[in-house]
Amino acid sequence: MKKIIAGVLAVMMMATAFAGCGEQTTSGGATGDVAGGESKTPSGAELFGDEDNISLKVWGPDKSVELLKKQCDAFTKLYPEKTITIEVVAQGENEAATQLLNDATTAADVFGIPSDQINRLVRAKVIQEVAFADEVKANNSETIVQDATKDGVLYAYPETADNGYYLVYDNTVIKEGDEKKLETVLEDCKAAGKKFIMSAGDGFYACMFIFTAGLKTDGIEDDGITQKFTDYDEDEVVATMQAFSKLFHDYSTTFQSSEVDKIPSGFSTGVCGAGIDGSWNVVADQTALEDKYAAAKLPTITVNGEEKQIISMFGYKFIGVNAASKFPRASQILANYLTGEECQLQRAEELGWCPSNTAAAESDTVKNNVAISAIREQAENSVPMGDIVQQFFSPVGNLGNQLFSDKTDPSDTEYMKKLIKETLQNVKDV
Amino acid sequence: MIKSYKARRIISNTIIYIILAIMGIVWVSPLVYLLLHSFRAEGMSAVPYLIPKSFSFQNYIDLFVNTGTLNFPRWYLNTFIVACFSCIISTLSVLMVSYAFSRLRFKSRKKFINVGMILGMFPGFMTMIAIYYLLKAMNLSQTLVALIICYSAGAGLGFQISKGFFDTIPRALDEAATVDGATKNQIFWKIILPMSKPIVVYTVLTSFIGPWTDFILCKLIMGDKINNYTVAIGLQKMITQEFKPVYYKQFLAGSVLVAVPITLLFLKMQKYYVEGVTAGGVKG
Amino acid sequence: MKYIDYKQLNPFQKFAYNFTEFFKKLPGRIVAFFKAIGRFFVKLFTGIGKGVANYVTRFIKGDIAVKLSYLIFGFGNFAKGQIIKGLLFLATEVAYIYFIISFGWPNLSKFGTLGTAVTQIVADGPFKKTVWGHNSMLILLYSVVTLAVTLAFLFIYIANTKSAYKLQQLKAEGKHIMTFKEEAKEFLDGKFHITMLSLPVTLITIFTIMPLIFMILIAFTNYNRSHMPPGTLFTWVGFENFADLVNVASGGKKGITFIELTKWTIVWAIFATFSNYILGMIVALMINKKGIRLKSLWRTLFVITIAVPQFVSLLLMNQMLQVDGAVNILLSEITGQTVAINFFNDTAFLARATVIVVNCWVGIPYTILSASGILMNIPADLYESARIDGAGPVKQFTKITLPYMLFVTAPSLITQFVGNINNFNVIFLLSGGGPSTEKLYQAGQTDILVTWLFNLTMNQQDYDLAAAIGILVFIVCATLSLITFNLSKSMKDEEAFS
Repeated sequence: MKKIIAGVLAVMMMATAFAGCGEQTTSGGATGDVAGGESKTPSGAELFGDEDNISLKVWGPDKSVELLKKQCDAFTKLYPEKTITIEVVAQGENEAATQLLNDATTAADVFGIPSDQINRLVRAKVIQEVAFADEVKANNSETIVQDATKDGVLYAYPETADNGYYLVYDNTVIKEGDEKKLETVLEDCKAAGKKFIMSAGDGFYACMFIFTAGLKTDGIEDDGITQKFTDYDEDEVVATMQAFSKLFHDYSTTFQSSEVDKIPSGFSTGVCGAGIDGSWNVVADQTALEDKYAAAKLPTITVNGEEKQIISMFGYKFIGVNAASKFPRASQILANYLTGEECQLQRAEELGWCPSNTAAAESDTVKNNVAISAIREQAENSVPMGDIVQQFFSPVGNLGNQLFSDKTDPSDTEYMKKLIKETLQNVKDV
Repeated sequence: MIKSYKARRIISNTIIYIILAIMGIVWVSPLVYLLLHSFRAEGMSAVPYLIPKSFSFQNYIDLFVNTGTLNFPRWYLNTFIVACFSCIISTLSVLMVSYAFSRLRFKSRKKFINVGMILGMFPGFMTMIAIYYLLKAMNLSQTLVALIICYSAGAGLGFQISKGFFDTIPRALDEAATVDGATKNQIFWKIILPMSKPIVVYTVLTSFIGPWTDFILCKLIMGDKINNYTVAIGLQKMITQEFKPVYYKQFLAGSVLVAVPITLLFLKMQKYYVEGVTAGGVKG
Repeated sequence: MKYIDYKQLNPFQKFAYNFTEFFKKLPGRIVAFFKAIGRFFVKLFTGIGKGVANYVTRFIKGDIAVKLSYLIFGFGNFAKGQIIKGLLFLATEVAYIYFIISFGWPNLSKFGTLGTAVTQIVADGPFKKTVWGHNSMLILLYSVVTLAVTLAFLFIYIANTKSAYKLQQLKAEGKHIMTFKEEAKEFLDGKFHITMLSLPVTLITIFTIMPLIFMILIAFTNYNRSHMPPGTLFTWVGFENFADLVNVASGGKKGITFIELTKWTIVWAIFATFSNYILGMIVALMINKKGIRLKSLWRTLFVITIAVPQFVSLLLMNQMLQVDGAVNILLSEITGQTVAINFFNDTAFLARATVIVVNCWVGIPYTILSASGILMNIPADLYESARIDGAGPVKQFTKITLPYMLFVTAPSLITQFVGNINNFNVIFLLSGGGPSTEKLYQAGQTDILVTWLFNLTMNQQDYDLAAAIGILVFIVCATLSLITFNLSKSMKDEEAFS
């Protein structure tokens, strides 16, 4: 508890532009005594300004509701002189953005969202700037902070660093060392008569076919809605797409493109040998595979004799503050508290969510978790999701569909060129 | 001659039986599949075989026991309440509108009929956001009342079939009653309504089913008020990416629970439904 | 053909005659329809003109009480002793004035610009605060509400002046002035249609017409992802969105998509409607054939599928048609090889055929239900005479059953056709628009216009464009059904039984 008080104090000091005391955070116990904090809290409570009789609503995904409730209780106990009631409501992160856009006034004050939704919220001005930006910047890696920064302003508090996907496999099917190359993964699955499953028709996954070739997204144009792409070498992109396409066609009985729920369910029935699955399915995959469960970063693919690491899309989850909140200060303080090191560690322990906080990420809980390690490793080979517009997903998903489609001839260079050109056009809406 | 005619009839009837049997199987098998797999004990969302290997009631039990995040019984009750009320209001408005258009003569009746016919042709979801803010301005957002209103407000536009039905009732009846000194109000309640059982049942049935199937409008209106959701949203939620591996079997079980009462109701009322739709459809 | 010739035809020939006449008259009807629209507007304006003239005459001819009632509602009624009616008029006026001051005018005054105050973010110590500007969407919506209320108010206002003037005349002629009770009673008899229609019409006005007008107006604004309320304002842009749509010449992808989707939507609606209709009728004929037993069992088998909520059965079908779904498993077991047909991710033809076939599964039971009764109404002597002429079952179906059914159910067929143009559920839940293609803008090859609209609004927030498309679809559907309904109605006397 003292640690938190100290944290809040530090925040306040930094925020009010006093020379900072930096990060005083060290890992420690979960809860402490309220009495010990009382002498210091008044100064923390001053942050609230004249806000009192505060009632806040918090949105979190269903799985995290119980833990969020506990954490919010702890938060209210920090400020005994303020009356704070917090209601925690289950709300999926993707829907959160939609609902905020529909009607911000009935939405939660503090809500969890994935990074790719932040843009929409910023455009409609329903998400409030982060008040404790300096503290957030000090405690999180620059990539994460950058993901929620639009026009130089930080809009949300980093919560987790795990909104991505990784290679999950049955370790009796994929031999040790074979998980490193896509070719050997497919070969092992074929040998065992099992499927390799990924959702290749979904832009969230299909982006790997172009990202791996160096054609990456590069932020958004000044109009705030048009996707920018990096310069790319067309021959390389085409070669990479052809390499993927050829593999899918060579292993057409092994490779299966379906929604990712088929991966855990395929493991449980013994149909599936390996797959590219999202972080939210970790528990389901583990239940299905039990001690055969193994996880790794995405493999490499051989293009023109050169092994290329597959580059994926990677997002972070954030906690945002509703710009229409009646208690903007309290909301900011709560959002900052919920994304603090201690709360992140609790989530890592109880829910298996990978912390974004650099200190929390170094803890043993995190390091011993195979799934989290795999996801973190993959994160280093990824493109952040925050700068990807909504229009990106369906055209790129189509690109994925075409690569494994029976109609497509992997050696048809002209078609690949046309495909990539049209896809980019559809994303950019020209 | 007679013999061959008989033989031909037997052959043609056998062919018909075979066709009907095959079609019957095709029509019912998805439902049998649904029923079987709702009792499936093993596996998650998909299994590579048609008939489950083991059966249990666990999926059904889970629906009623694990009410932490997905409170199925509560949503079931909500849907039932909404369906009952909206079906009463809808039936009344349909009957009132179609009676007025069919039996009463007043200025610009034809114009009303034409306007009423085309209004339902604008894609419904386009107007949802407007409906939401109207309800909010009335302080009704996130309530069951709002849902009832939404599902029954437009019901009056579905007057065609029951107007067709009323058209078939001889006008001599009304005239005789008028001669006896009955007002139009009395004619409606005492003469026409008692004769309209088929069309009432038809309207009740169709408007009762509505709330069990809509998940788009309901979701927009309810927002984060999970306790006021209807089963349709719940079922739809169970097969979103986040829940599907774990909840898919419960989705199947929930679907069965929704389908069973409506099916029973339908089978029981089938006769009237056919009568209503026939009489109304003919005249349109 | 003269009436006398017509009367001499046998019933079978009558149907054939009516059937061909129906289509012969169609082009003429279309012209007549647009003429009717023109006449409607002429009538409307002359009506308004007459109304204004009457309004002025009443004022001039009216006594002081009538003149005052032009300002103070119900004054004419008070003067002649109709206290309750007068109070009701007065209450309306007070309520309206309150409404317009507190709610109506603040919104309506910004209708021209849809708001000017921009949302700003201001510093609040270390924190930030949002100072909300105008919300263009709410301004537009509430303006529509205000206009609707004002229209209703004007209506009551005119009624009030009319009532006052009429009372003056009655009094001058020394006739009986109705008491409130007597007038209320009138609503149960002479004015019963008002009693019956007022509630439904109010509900429909609020929840269908006003939102509809709102959406139509949206098509003339730039309400899209770069102009999202409450943070940013949107404003009027005239016909820009429609220009966007027809902008095919410059190769705009949206235009191409619109044309492609329109084509498929029409093909889909035709196939979906007629496959259900004809196949359903054939099944109904088979079930109802003389000598077929277990009629109710057969009917029940089909009818159960109606009772399962459509989104459940469609999602289930979607799962069953996946590469590893039940249908492929079944086919694998029958053929003994691995079958993995990608129903919604292979060729456009396969996906479209699948969608139409599954739609048959959904729709045929409805046709069976409605056709069963009608089929039994076909006069038996028609078939008898056809049989004597040597017509086989197929000929009987095409020459008797089908024309009869088409003739009788034409209106409901059109309703179904229009319903299929807007058939959101089947496409959205079943194929999700797949197979995807790079040739279309944010749409797949089984997407119809409405599902495309849904994607544009929900994912891309392009409300403006979606509204423009919605209007076009609406106009086509409305014209089509108005013509057919009035045409078919003219052939059948509405009061045939009276």
